[in-house]
Amino acid sequence: MTAVVEEATEPRALASEMPAGRTTGWWGMVMFVTTEATVFAALLGSYFYIRFQSGQWPPPGIEDPKLTKVVIMTALLLPSSVPVMWAERGIRKGQRWRLRAGLTITLVLGLGFLAMQAWEYSEDLKKHTLTTDAYSSLFYTITGFHGFHVAVGLLMVGWLLAASLRGSFGYRRHERVRLTAIYWHFVDLVWVAIFLSLYLSPRL
Amino acid sequence: MSVSTEPAKLDQLEQEWGERPSLHSWFSTVDHKRIGRRYMVTAGIFFIIAGLDAMIMRTQLARPNATVLSPEEYDQLFTMHGTAMIFLFSTPMFFGFGNFLVPLMIGARDMAFPRLNAFGYWVFAFAGIVMFSSQLVGKAPDGGWFGYVPLTDKPYSSGINLDVYSLGLLFLGVSTTIGAINFIVTALKMRAPGMSLNRVPLFVWAIVATSFMVIFALPALNVANAMLFLDRRFGAHFFDPAHGGNTLLWQHLFWIFGHPDVYIIVMPALGIVSAVLPAFCRRGVVAYPLLVLSIVTISIISFGVWVHHMFATGLPQLSYSFFSAASTLITIPSGIQIFAWLATMLRGRIVVRTPFLFLVGFIVTFVLGGFTGVMFAITAFDQQVTDSYFVVAHFHYVLFGGAVFPMLAGIYFWLPKITGKMYAERLSRWAFWLIFLGFNTTFFPMHISGLLGMPRRIYSYPGDLGWDVWNLISTIGAYILAAGLLLVLIGVIHAVRRGAPAEDDPWGGDTLEWGTASPPPPYNFAVVPPVHGLHPMWDERTTTALATGKVLEGHQAMTTSELDGQVEGTIEMPEESLLPLAAALAILVVVLGLLWSWYWMAGVGALFVFGTVARWLWPPERSPEEAGVA
Amino acid sequence: MPTDQQVRKTGGLLFWFAVLGGALSWAVHLFVAWGVDETTCGGGHTDVAGIPLRGVVAAGVVLPALVTAAALLVAWRGWRRASAAKRSGDDPRMERTGMLLLVGLGADALFLAIILAGGAAVLVFAPCQR
Repeated sequence: MTAVVEEATEPRALASEMPAGRTTGWWGMVMFVTTEATVFAALLGSYFYIRFQSGQWPPPGIEDPKLTKVVIMTALLLPSSVPVMWAERGIRKGQRWRLRAGLTITLVLGLGFLAMQAWEYSEDLKKHTLTTDAYSSLFYTITGFHGFHVAVGLLMVGWLLAASLRGSFGYRRHERVRLTAIYWHFVDLVWVAIFLSLYLSPRL
Repeated sequence: MSVSTEPAKLDQLEQEWGERPSLHSWFSTVDHKRIGRRYMVTAGIFFIIAGLDAMIMRTQLARPNATVLSPEEYDQLFTMHGTAMIFLFSTPMFFGFGNFLVPLMIGARDMAFPRLNAFGYWVFAFAGIVMFSSQLVGKAPDGGWFGYVPLTDKPYSSGINLDVYSLGLLFLGVSTTIGAINFIVTALKMRAPGMSLNRVPLFVWAIVATSFMVIFALPALNVANAMLFLDRRFGAHFFDPAHGGNTLLWQHLFWIFGHPDVYIIVMPALGIVSAVLPAFCRRGVVAYPLLVLSIVTISIISFGVWVHHMFATGLPQLSYSFFSAASTLITIPSGIQIFAWLATMLRGRIVVRTPFLFLVGFIVTFVLGGFTGVMFAITAFDQQVTDSYFVVAHFHYVLFGGAVFPMLAGIYFWLPKITGKMYAERLSRWAFWLIFLGFNTTFFPMHISGLLGMPRRIYSYPGDLGWDVWNLISTIGAYILAAGLLLVLIGVIHAVRRGAPAEDDPWGGDTLEWGTASPPPPYNFAVVPPVHGLHPMWDERTTTALATGKVLEGHQAMTTSELDGQVEGTIEMPEESLLPLAAALAILVVVLGLLWSWYWMAGVGALFVFGTVARWLWPPERSPEEAGVA
Repeated sequence: MPTDQQVRKTGGLLFWFAVLGGALSWAVHLFVAWGVDETTCGGGHTDVAGIPLRGVVAAGVVLPALVTAAALLVAWRGWRRASAAKRSGDDPRMERTGMLLLVGLGADALFLAIILAGGAAVLVFAPCQR
């Protein structure tokens, strides 16, 4: 390891061009994901800003958010990144069946996530709504905004699936798959942050 | 002039890239030069409206207890003046410059995403129309450009005015963000071969730094505006202390955006200064690496000073200290730039023309604004002058000095390149002196009235406080300033209609845009220019290659590597399309639906947004061989 | 024996640490030190989970300062070596590297100054003093 670092401080190594060779589409999606990630950072920052200055959290009258459904949602969403990667690797080798199968699995898992979220909301809304307290305003806005991103991601995956059924992709042409995958992984990572911040950390 | 040895190929390029002038093409153009001009003209119109807002305000404030305006009218005027100048004029105007110049300066044929570029323009235009329309019907935002809660929240502002504010800015934010992404990707991937990062023109560095600031700053504003809209329209409690909310949250979110925003405004202008100066000093800007250092560090530090807008809100002194430190030390990179430009003038051979005059005007005015700025960095001083006219004086010196003077320099400098016509030097010098005199007459007295205790944002004032004469002088100055700006407008229109035809390179410039015709052909460069240094047009290797090199045929553009500009390949560029306009219209429908509480309409609009984007990005059908099937 | 690819990748990462390490570290300092101070005082406390607030803020000054200093050293060393290295004719790689390392050097120094200037306030003010 030290040998690597030794040699890495040589000028030739410091001058190695990194990043290099990405496409314009890749950079566009990465920049887009960066700005959206910042939106979630601002939302979570607002959440903690209010939370750390409040006494009891959640405030009196509102219970801790239930974990069961959310754990299932997490179990659906996080692994759904795998079929997308598997699909992408497949189409890079020209295997169209892999692309279609992987996208379909991700679509099903993602829809499952949204269905569970709708179920979770239907129960939560009986206890508190957007207008109950700042806590609820934050809770519904953050989770709702994320759910919106999942929905958009599923529209992208579905659209990609439709295009792949039409025969647009192969080992020479698959950039849209990669860009959609980047977006989908981003949606997953944001969920982890939300899960940890809104659901787990109040219980610590 | 790029005369290739293969004229037939030039004709072919003209055919591939040219957009036949027609109504259809006006709506479907994706040419960065047309879009850039459009941004500039539209932003110019918005500048005039926002300026007239100010003239009316100054007329009201000329004398104590005047009755030209009611308090409510005054509130709408000062809010729209600030909001429009910042959001609808300055950044779009500089995005216009960037749009026109960045591809040319880096030797590219267009932006990386031409259709997205067109989309960004349409969204900006529609957002501006929505916001200004509210002024026409007397329902303009009236809570100040900074929209502090609880005043702007229910129940203190119950009209539609502040919904126009929050939704209008959310709408506009789409355009700004998309423009920023486009600039970054273009600058990373489409530079000419050999244009490694240390050979990138300072204007391009400035635009890219601005774009990164947009990427990280806009989200805070968007979150704030979304929260405000939810509070007002749907009864959320983000900012409502009675239900666990926090009013300071608005200020934090707003200024986390708002401070970087003032650098988002000024940074492209500083880039223009670096771009224009060489031609009038007959040498490159001194200490290029230090200027890159300044651009990069100012952009980053700008995110860590925002609480200096909140020094009077009662937060712990320790918290204030971190921001005071950053606010004070940000003057170092700012100062480095000024000294570099001064050194360039000292070590060069100065040629005085109108653009140079505006650069000198910029230095004087911006530095004065910087002095008062660093005074504000000291918490104790700030707490004495906060919310007084001293602040108004400061920010007009840095904004007008820092943004408008360079913008005017840029307009005169690049007018020949953009329009193919030269401006009249005598008329423009009159314009400069009237503007310089008028500006200082308007805003210098505000330092005094501010120190004498005159608060901001008041529609009138009593006559026995010693403020009268300063206000009167300010108003006279405003009229002189307006006259000067009118001369600029007249001069530009006159040049476009009857000006002398301009050469390709009237200034002997050093950057690649001077290696094209005036105005440039639709494809910009027939030969992709190889770059060997910082001043490609002063380098024979590049100029010879432009004249005699191999033409890059077809509707193609070249891509190179991110850091070192090594050739990677070519990409096919998109044709004209109506989809960008359609998508922008669809978002307009969503915004209006939300504004008027017709949520079904917003939903339909959202479906259309999805539909147009899905169509836009739909891949072509390909045969298995073409796509590459296993 | 480290592979060429490993060395290049590490070299690239070290390069970016030199150029942007100070900036990132300062950002962490700012959000942690300010954020903990304002929200803890705003909630009426003077400690964070038992640890005195002054200590937490001080850690939010000292640790980022050390990281920034490290970035500064890497930038300094890297810039010296890049400036001394042979340049090949028309290949701008080494010049590009040298210039950006110089930018990193200046940036890291500036951010270190800002952290220390603001951090000095920890010695002067009580954390919740208004």
